[in-house]
Amino acid sequence: MRFLFVDRILDMVPGKSIKAEHTFAGGEDFFQDHFPGFPVVPGVLLTEMMGQTAAKCLDAESRAKQRGKAMLAQIRSASFRDWVRPDENAIIKAEIKSSQSKFATAVCSVEVRGRRVCSAEILFSFLSLENFAPGYHDEVLEAFLSARERGKEQGNG
Amino acid sequence: MAKSTTEILAWVAQVFEAPVEKISLETKMGQIDNWDSMGVLTLMARMDEDFQILLTEEEIEQMRSVQDILDVLRKHGQLEDKP
Repeated sequence: MRFLFVDRILDMVPGKSIKAEHTFAGGEDFFQDHFPGFPVVPGVLLTEMMGQTAAKCLDAESRAKQRGKAMLAQIRSASFRDWVRPDENAIIKAEIKSSQSKFATAVCSVEVRGRRVCSAEILFSFLSLENFAPGYHDEVLEAFLSARERGKEQGNG
Repeated sequence: MAKSTTEILAWVAQVFEAPVEKISLETKMGQIDNWDSMGVLTLMARMDEDFQILLTEEEIEQMRSVQDILDVLRKHGQLEDKP
C-alpha cells in the first residue's frame, strides 16, 4: 500500500487554505483487521490524510524551496466523530493558521457525506529538500498547479 | 492582555506538558524533559498563537530558562509587573 492519502486537490490558496479528496477503495490490507466484519478507516490514517493535505498547501508557497518540505511535528488535538467506511469519498479541508519560517500550524477536518467526521490541529516543522531523493516531487500538488496554469492560459487566450 | 508571572508559569507548564509545581523562574531548559528541539518549536508556535509574538533567531537562542521566557514576554509587553 502506498502512503499517499490525497487523490486530488479540489481548491487551494497556497499558504492559506486547501480542499482535497481521497477515497479508500476498500481493498487495502488494513481493513481485514480494522475491523473484521466492520471495516473502518483507522483514525491514524485520517490524521495522516489531514496532515498530507495541509502540508501540500504549505509546500505550494513560493518560499517552500528555501524553507523545505512541511513535516508533521505535533498533533495538538484530534477528535473523531463518525466512521469512514471503505469506498466513501472523503473531503479534506485545512486552514493554515500560521505559516512562519520554522513552523506552521493548521486546523484540518474531514467530511464524508457532507458531515464532519474528524478534525485536528497540527503543527508542522520544515525539512530541507536536500534530504529527499533527487527528483522527488509531489505529483498531486504538481497536477493541481499545472491544471490551474492551463486554466489561466486558456482564460487569457 | 498582559499576564501575571503566576499565569505565565502555568502557561509554560502547559506548553512543555510539565507539572506546574516544577516550574519556577529559576527552572532551566535542561530541567524540563520536554524542553528539547520539539519543545522549542512548540514554544515558538504558542508564542505566536497566544501572544502574537514571532520570536527572532536571537530570542530563540537566548531562551535558556523560564526567566528568559518571561523576559521576552516583558519585552513584548505581555507580562504584568505585578506577580
